[in-house]
Order: sequence, then C-alpha cells, then structure tokens
Amino acid sequence: MEKKRKREPWLFLLPVLVVLLLLFGYPLINSIVMAFQNYKLTAPNDIYFNGFENFKKLFGDPDGLMILKNSIIYVVISVAGQFLLGLTLALALKKQFKGRGLYQSIVFLPWAFSGFVVGLIFRWSFNGEYGVVNNLLMKLGIIDNNIAWLGTPGYSLAVVIIAMIWMGIPFFAIMILAALQSIPADVYEAADVDGCGTVRQFFQITLPYIKPTLITTVLLRTIWIFNSLDLVVIITDGGPANSSQTLPAYMYSKAFGSYDFGFAAALGVMLMIILGLYALIFLKVTKYDKAGDF
Amino acid sequence: MKKRVIAALLTASMAVGLLAGCGSSGGDSGGESKEAGKQGKEASLRFIDVNPSPERQKYYEGVFQKFEEETGISVAYESVPWDDAADKLTVLGTSGQLPDVITTHPSWLGQFTEADWIMPVDDYVEEHGDEFVEAVKNINWAQEKEKYGHVYSIPDGFMVKGIFYRKDWVEEIGYEIPTGKDWTYDAYFDLIKALTDKEKKRYGNSFRGARGAFDPLLTYLQTFTGGYTYDEEGNFLLNSPECVEALEKWCEIYKDGYVPEDSVNWGFVEMVDNFTGGLTGTVSNDSEVAKACEEKMDPSQWGVLPMPVSTVDGKLLNSAGSPYSYTISKTSEYPEEALALVDFLVRPENNIEYCKMGGLIPIKNDVGDDETYGENGPYAPFLAQLNDPNFTVPPTYGAFNYTDLHQDMFHTELQKYLLGQQSAEDVLNHIGDELTARMKQYLADNEGAEVEKPKTMQPAAE
Repeated sequence: MEKKRKREPWLFLLPVLVVLLLLFGYPLINSIVMAFQNYKLTAPNDIYFNGFENFKKLFGDPDGLMILKNSIIYVVISVAGQFLLGLTLALALKKQFKGRGLYQSIVFLPWAFSGFVVGLIFRWSFNGEYGVVNNLLMKLGIIDNNIAWLGTPGYSLAVVIIAMIWMGIPFFAIMILAALQSIPADVYEAADVDGCGTVRQFFQITLPYIKPTLITTVLLRTIWIFNSLDLVVIITDGGPANSSQTLPAYMYSKAFGSYDFGFAAALGVMLMIILGLYALIFLKVTKYDKAGDF
Repeated sequence: MKKRVIAALLTASMAVGLLAGCGSSGGDSGGESKEAGKQGKEASLRFIDVNPSPERQKYYEGVFQKFEEETGISVAYESVPWDDAADKLTVLGTSGQLPDVITTHPSWLGQFTEADWIMPVDDYVEEHGDEFVEAVKNINWAQEKEKYGHVYSIPDGFMVKGIFYRKDWVEEIGYEIPTGKDWTYDAYFDLIKALTDKEKKRYGNSFRGARGAFDPLLTYLQTFTGGYTYDEEGNFLLNSPECVEALEKWCEIYKDGYVPEDSVNWGFVEMVDNFTGGLTGTVSNDSEVAKACEEKMDPSQWGVLPMPVSTVDGKLLNSAGSPYSYTISKTSEYPEEALALVDFLVRPENNIEYCKMGGLIPIKNDVGDDETYGENGPYAPFLAQLNDPNFTVPPTYGAFNYTDLHQDMFHTELQKYLLGQQSAEDVLNHIGDELTARMKQYLADNEGAEVEKPKTMQPAAE
C-alpha cells in the first residue's frame, strides 16, 4: 500500500515524461551525437564519427568571430532597445486615459505578427531603390543619395536589429504593465504623503516591485532573440558576405543550405552551452531568488 | 496454436499490404493494360512522367487524347513525384515492369543503358535526324553515341541561356548592339554602361551577388580557357592572370555603380523582378525568364540577345541542356507504337506547346511562324543559338558534390571582393583551391574518371 502511494505521482506524470523524453530528450541527445559525426545529407552513405573535427572547423571558420560578434551585438542592442521602449510604453499605459484600450491594442499589434511578415515588411521598407525609408529620408533632406541598407555591411545588421526591436516591444510592455498594475496603490499614496518625488518613487517603489518580472522577461527575451533566426534569414539571409549573419542563422544555412548536419549540430551544441552559461550567470548576478524581497 | 495462426494471418496481411504499397498505380495499371492489349489486339501504352504537376498532367493527357484520335492507340498517363522517381524507376526496371515510354533525366541514362532497360533509337535518328536542331544532333546524340555506343533518347526541349534586354531603352538612346563575332562580353559590358541612367532610375543590369552568383561568372571565365574548368590532372584553370582580370572587369559594373548597390544580395527572384519591374536594362538567365517577361511586360519593351562570344576564340559558351528526354523500355510489348508516341510528342506543334509551358526551346527546326519561337518571336535568338556552329556547352564545377560550396562559399567569396574586403585573386584562389582538392579526390576515388570536356558542335575538334 505504502509502495503504491509512492508510485502514484509518477504514474500521473508518466504521460508528460514520455512526451518530454520523446520530443526533447531524443532530439537533444541525437544532435549532440551528430555534432561528433561527419553527417552530410548529400552523402547519406558516408556517415561516421569524426571526433572534434566539426568543432575544429567551427573555431577555424574565418567568419566565425565576426558571426559571434554579430550575435552579441544583435542580442544586446535588441534586448536593451525592447526593454527601454517597452518600459516606457508600459509606464505610459499605466494611467487611465480616454481611448486607452484602443491605443493599447494598436501598440501591441506587432507581437501578433509572424516573424515572416515582419521580415518582409522591413525588407521592402529598407529596399535600396524603392524603399519607403530612403524615400522619407530623402524628402526630409537627411540624405542625398539612396542608401543600400541591405547591401552594406553594418547597415544590414542594423535593419535586422530595428525590426527585432519593433517586433518585441509589446511583449516587454505587456509583461511590465501587468507587473505595474499589481503594485498596491496605497504604497504610492504613502510615499506622496511622505513627500517622495516621482523619480524617487520610480526607483524606490516601482522598480523593486517589478524586478522579478523584469528579470524573467529579460532572461526569456535574451534566449529567444539569441535563438531566433527568422528575421535574419528573411531580411538579409546573413548577407552581404556574412556581415549580418548570426549564430543560429548560420546554423540554419549550414543545415539546410549546405546540408552539413554534423557541422550545424556542433554549432547547436555551442549555442546551447553559451545560453546555459548565460542563464546561470544572469540568475546569479541578478539574485533572482531574492528579487522582490524587501 | 491459436496465437500462431493469428500471427501467421497478421504477417500475411502485412506482406500483402507491403506488396500493394510497392506496386502502386504503376504496377497495377501496367497489368491491366497488358491484359487489355492481348485480349483486344488494340495496342495501349503506358507513359510515366517523373516531374508531374497539374499543368504537365493536363498537357500530356491532352496530347495522348489527340494521339489516340489519330492512331487508335490509347496511352495511360502515370506519374511519380520527382523525389521518388529514381527509386521507383529502379524498382520497376529491376522487376521488368517499366512503362513503355519513360521521361528520363540525363543523369539516369548510364544506369538505364548498363542495366539494358531501354531501347536504342538509332534507326529513328537516322530517318528523322534532319528535323532536329543542330545541338540535339551534335551534342545530345553525339555524346550518347560516344558514351553508350547508341542513341537512346529523344530530348523534350532545351533550357538555353540568353540575355534579356530592354528593347525600348536601346531604341530610345539609339544604341546599336553589335552582332555575331562582335557581340563579345566587352560589348555586353558596354551595353550595360550605356543603358544606365540614374537620373531616370535605370541601371544597366540585374547583377547577381547572392546564391548562384558564380555560375554566370564561371561561364565568362571559361571563355578564356576554351570552355575548360580544369586541366587533365584536375587543377583549377580559372585563376590565371587573365581570369583575375576578367573577374575584375565583371565586378567593375557593380563597383562603378552601373547596377544597383543592393544587388550584392540579389538572387534569381530579385534579378528577374527588377528587370520586369523596370529598374534594370539587362538580365542574363535561362529561357524560362521569358515567361515572366511575357506576363509582366509589353512585347515592345523586351527582347533577347544570344550569349556573348569569347574574345579569345569566338566560341559561344552557353550552359544549356535538356531537362528530360524520352526513352522506350525494352520490355515494351509495342515498341513501334511507343516510338510513334515519342515522335508524336516531339512533333513541332506538340513540342511547342510543351516548351511554352516550361520556358524551354523546341528541339525541332520547323517552328513555322509561331509567335513565340518563329523568326520574329522573342525566343528566336535562343533557337538560333542552338544552330550556331560556335555553340559550346561548357562543363560546370565537376561530377562531385559541390552543393555546400554553391550555397555558401562561391558567392560569399565574391561578395567579399565586391565589398572591398579581399582581392579578385583571393576569390579565385580560395575557390580554386577547394575545387582542385575535390576534383583530385574525385579522380582518385573513381578509377577511369576523366575531367569533363566542353561539348562543341564540331565533334571532330574534340
């Protein structure tokens, strides 16, 4: 009887565990195995273990460092931009005003778009010949000649970042707004009575209250953005000459362009290690366990 | 005991299921048609399409209908998706069940002839050869004869490269485009420069900077080596000083602003869209682009020029080829009727209809005054190329697998030069080193393999 009792929760969990193992465990282990194999879809009869060959190739890739640098720039600027603008938007939406519901639903719209659609919109807006961006800049007298946004190293990555920021602001805003609305009003009232200014209220009351939400949101978004490849692939496809390539997009192009699954899996394992370390360090530094205790 | 019986029954039912799966439509209808043929004397044929689409099926069924009306021979249309085609035909071939007429990919001919699955058509070629364009006789058939001892297939059409240009722009600036021997790559670059007018938002050319960027460049570089990519030992030839200079010239139109700056990222779609959309004055590509031009442009706006000739030896290098060809199965019960069907399929009116569907060029000279292929039609220059004695089909990168390079290295290396990150010499040396290594590996792995030669219209010259 006692034994049965102990087994009971496991039995209830079993279906979920099986699904997890099948859908996450198996592909995960398989891709780790593949990272140590010569696994090219173009030569399906020539698959064998090749030790650290894929990793050697990865670290010897002449564009490798640039791609890593691109990924870091892409993630840091995108997350920072989304965070700041999302926070601003949330603060603006906190107070009641006429038409807030409508306004809110409009500004949250980008989050509802698929990455593919957003990618296409930005690709066309920044088109060097017909793009609306060049047109506007010309009319405002800021530039004299068309800029080939997607054909110039540096600019092409900037376009991807702008698209990513635009798309991700609503998510930050929604999360932060929810957190803001959960702060009890009497805390602010008490602060007002004590003669505490708005700025101080923000830093002493608002921020500490929403800190757990901020940490979770930043962590999640960092991982999502780092892993996302749709915008890069659709807007620039990493070009020109890999100057807007990021690690996951590069992995995608290696897997589904060159069919070198071994090399792509090695990249995937690297990605996983980088993100794992990031999550550990981030949670430690932000003292996530203690956030919100005051 | 009971269990065993059930197990046996289940096994049997599974086996039956498997067999049914393997046989599918091909096997079944084959059996039926043979029976019908025997019982009611009337011949009936089976035809298999290996690249089916609703459009192609409609075309074939229409033609078969006409064939039946004319000859009384019915033809059953069968199809297999391209991805499974090679496997399926191998299964059918091994079990002696190949349909009478097979659309065949050029790369399968070696297997089919070695396995003795298809019939030679030398007699037909002897009798009807003169109706076909020179390229079919001197390239397709000459090669088959050389490789397999006989001619086995009749091509479905030709995918030929050409240069599409804005006829109205050329007329507007009063530019005289050189012809014949004077229509060289240098003349092509001059035309691009002349058509550029940034005030009017006109660029000379749809430049290809992204995926596939090296393909047209390869053909241009080959004009300096008589059409060769490698020497006999497998060393890459296209990094000679002349080729480096040629690459610089090729990219000059980008660097000097005769093409849109964005085009460093352009692939096929962007090239064609910007030509039909009116931003660029020329685009060099396959004959299939003509379909897009017909749909989106006025006939007075565009025309086709042949590929430019080499400044070195006057050869007209064009990476042309036939997508498929028709072969006749050796197991066919009605070989004569099958040949009649093939002959019917390549009859000018049927072949023209087929070619229009896929932007191909017909394989017979008798196109009459067809509005597309006839003398005044937009495709006429393509047909003329197929009869030009200087027409040469150069080899590409080699018989080994180079997908990974084609998807990444080739154009990335070129883009780095376009953006000033490395020299032209670096581009060709990096690509050359990789290709030489693969070619040598291929030659070492495949005994008796040789470096592919350019195919010319003068077999004696080879």
